[in-house]
This record gives sequence, structure tokens and C-alpha cells, in this order.
Amino acid sequence: MGQWAGYLQLILDGAVVTIKLTLMGSALALVMAFLAGLGRLSRFAPVRWLATAYIEFFRGTSIFVQLFWAYFVLPLFGFTLTPLQAGVLALGLNVGAYAAEVVRGAIKSIGKEQYEACTALNFNRWQGLRHVILPQAFVLMLPTFGNNAIELLKASAVVSLISLSDMTFQAQVVRAQTGSTLFPFLTILILYFAIACVISFAIRGLERHLTRGLDGIRS
Amino acid sequence: MPPTNTAPIIEINGINKSFGAFKVLNDLSFSVAPREKLALIGPSGSGKTTILRILMTLEGIDSGEILVDGDSLYQMQRNGKLQPADDAHLHKMREKIGMVFQLFNLFPHKCVLDNVTLAPMLTKGVSRKDAEHHAMELLDMVGLADKAKSMPSQLSGGQKQRVAIARALALKPKIMLFDEVTSALDPELVEEVLNVLWKLCRETDMTMLLVTHEMGFAHDFADRVLFFDRGRIVEDGKPDEIFRHPKQERTQAFLKKIIAAGHRV
Repeated sequence: MGQWAGYLQLILDGAVVTIKLTLMGSALALVMAFLAGLGRLSRFAPVRWLATAYIEFFRGTSIFVQLFWAYFVLPLFGFTLTPLQAGVLALGLNVGAYAAEVVRGAIKSIGKEQYEACTALNFNRWQGLRHVILPQAFVLMLPTFGNNAIELLKASAVVSLISLSDMTFQAQVVRAQTGSTLFPFLTILILYFAIACVISFAIRGLERHLTRGLDGIRS
Repeated sequence: MPPTNTAPIIEINGINKSFGAFKVLNDLSFSVAPREKLALIGPSGSGKTTILRILMTLEGIDSGEILVDGDSLYQMQRNGKLQPADDAHLHKMREKIGMVFQLFNLFPHKCVLDNVTLAPMLTKGVSRKDAEHHAMELLDMVGLADKAKSMPSQLSGGQKQRVAIARALALKPKIMLFDEVTSALDPELVEEVLNVLWKLCRETDMTMLLVTHEMGFAHDFADRVLFFDRGRIVEDGKPDEIFRHPKQERTQAFLKKIIAAGHRV
């Protein structure tokens, strides 16, 4: 029994790393999503090209390859990252590319009449975006952002391949040391699911909070 | 209030506007005197709403010239040359003009009070306290002071439209554009909105352009009526002339149709 408690502790240490990666990766993804999503709607063509190039590149290549670049190839150009930094960078950039399309889609879905009200009230572009369009679009982004965050959580397991001791890495360590597959992998199955549930509930709560008073408006 | 004999506040000179192959405005010219209350009537597709949208800079023009308060709306002087207006010029010109839309276009995520205060705070740098004070006066004027903290979703169509009017007035425009502001309302809610327009008509100095299908109201409200058809002004005159003794066949036919549909003239 005591032996399993020790192994469980190992896996829980890994869970802390996984949660850290998920939080920091999601934060980076959110920033990238807004930068690239708004970039694709820019009036300036080069900004649109840059945003499109980023989105297509990071959606179109595997997270596995991106992670290996961040960790093993960037040092050849003089950028050495810790495994955690490389993991956050690869996960954030990859998921950010998907979420950028969510940002763009939500903004595009806000009716023309809202933009016209902004013009008639003499808002400049940024004021309209900041005070009228984004607050409404953000509510529409939330459910898909929740999906993206859960995707990021699950994708974070790839960092075990660059020897970062996340939950999956620790499970493999326990498996190697004990010969048991059931115990470590059942444990992380439950833990991944539990973390995903927390994300789901948090997003749903935020959505409920932000849509208060909004119901019945969107026609 | 009869228009006084001064320089026009709006001058439209030979403007053309097409949507694809459809010519909405065809070499259109007219002018509006300061404080004048103008009703624009005509069949749908005749271009009357497009005029308002062009004045609000929601649509551009293909050719021609528009002067508002003496300044060109879509062109500006730079180094002694006329150039297409930039954002700063349009921003300056829009300060003179406010618009109320058929579908209200309220901000659904903001309460009534915030809908009214947002623009003065953002575009004129008015403090929240002053903006709210003025907004409450305006909401009181449209009879909705008790709804200040309500969300738009909790209001009826007529109430929403009155909030939209207060919101446009908060910027103190010289010119107000009303685009079929009662068309989307249930019949029993039309009157409360018309009452507000009526009050504005009598109590303010604003120049008002009203696109409407409420012929009875247009008759009482307007100093002058323009009848539009196919992107041109077919008839231009005092309400009594247009509604009681229309000279043009097309005006007569239009009014006949409207009366047949049960509208009071």
C-alpha cells in the first residue's frame, strides 16, 4: 500500500506539471488567438498575410514536430529553451492558431447593424471593437475556447517526449518501475478527465455569467 | 417651425449611387435649410433610405458632392487640393449628424443608461457623471427614466426605439436622421415613438430628415415633403401640396396605394 502511495505521489507531481503547461499554454494561445484573429481582419494586407501564414503553418504541421523544433532545433540557432518553455511555446502557438479562427469567426458573426451603430455614434474602429463588438463576440468564442483548452490539455502529453516530467511521463516511469500498466494509466485517465471537467465547468460558469441579461437579443 | 432664409445646412449636388447594376440614386440634388423638418416618402427601393445612409457615411457615393454645414462630407482640403476624406475628416463631419435606425441597433450587452452614455464618454471625453446626468434627462424626455438599469432585452420595441433616440441625442447633433423608425414596431407601439419625434420637432432646433411610411405623421411633422421614385425626386413641396394636391401622376398613384392599404393621410 505504502509503495503505491509513493508512486501516486510521482503521478501527482506530474499532474502539477501538466496543469502548469495547460494554464501557461492556454494563456499564450489566447494571446496568439486574438493577435492572429484580429490580424486576419486587419485593413492592412501585410498584417493579414502574416496572420494567415501563422495560422496555416501552425495548424498544418504536427504539434510533435513543432515541439521538437522548439526544443532541439532552436538551440542550433542560439535559442535554448527549458523543456517547460519549449512545451508552453509549442502548445500555445499550435492551439492559438486554431483559436484564432474562432476569434475571427465570432467577430464576423456580429451583425452589420452593430457596426453601423458604432459609425453613427462616431466611434473609431478600436472603440467599436473594444466596447461593442468584442464583448458580444467573446461570449460566442467561449464554448469553442473550452474545446481548445481541453485539446491543449490532452496534447500536453507530447512533452513527455522531450523528457519533461508531466503526468504521462510519470505514468511511464511508474510503469517501468512496477511493471503495472493498469495502475498508472488508470490513474492518469481519471486525472486527465478530472482536469478536463474543471475546464468545462469553469468555461460554462463564465459563459453563464457573461450572458446574463443578453438572452433573447440575438436574432 | 418655418425654416429661416439662411445658407443650407445640407447641400446635395448631383449625386449618383449604384448597388451593382441597380442605380439607387440618379443625379440627385436637393438642399435642406437649418432647422427644417423634412419628410422623405416614396415606394421601397426609391432611394430615400440610401440618402440617409450616405449622409451618415454608412455608404459612399459614386459621384457628385455633398456639403454639410458648408464642408464637403466625402472630400477634404489638403494643401489647397481636394482629396478623399480620411478617418479624421469623417469623424469631424459625423459629429454634426445623428441617426436612428429601423431596427434600433441598441447594444444588447449594455444597460439602457450605458447605451446612452457610451458615445459621449468615448467620443467627446465627457465624464461618466456628466454623461449620466445628461442621459437621465434624455431618458426622462423619452419617458424611460425608470428603465435606466434595464437591459435592452427587457424592453418592448417602442421602448427600444425611444432609447435609440435618446442615445443619438446624447451627442447633440445638429442634424438627425430617422430611418423608418416605426416600421418594425407593432401598431400599438408606433404612437409612443411618434410622440417623442413630435416633441423633438417642436422643442428643438435640430434639422430633421425623416424617412417614413406614416403619411399622417409626415403631413403634420414636416415643413416640406420630398417624394422619391427610382432614385429621383419626383415632387418637392409643402405637406398640403404633396398630400392633398399632388401634381405628378406617380405621386398620386403612390398615395392612392398607401390609402388603399389603410394608412391615414
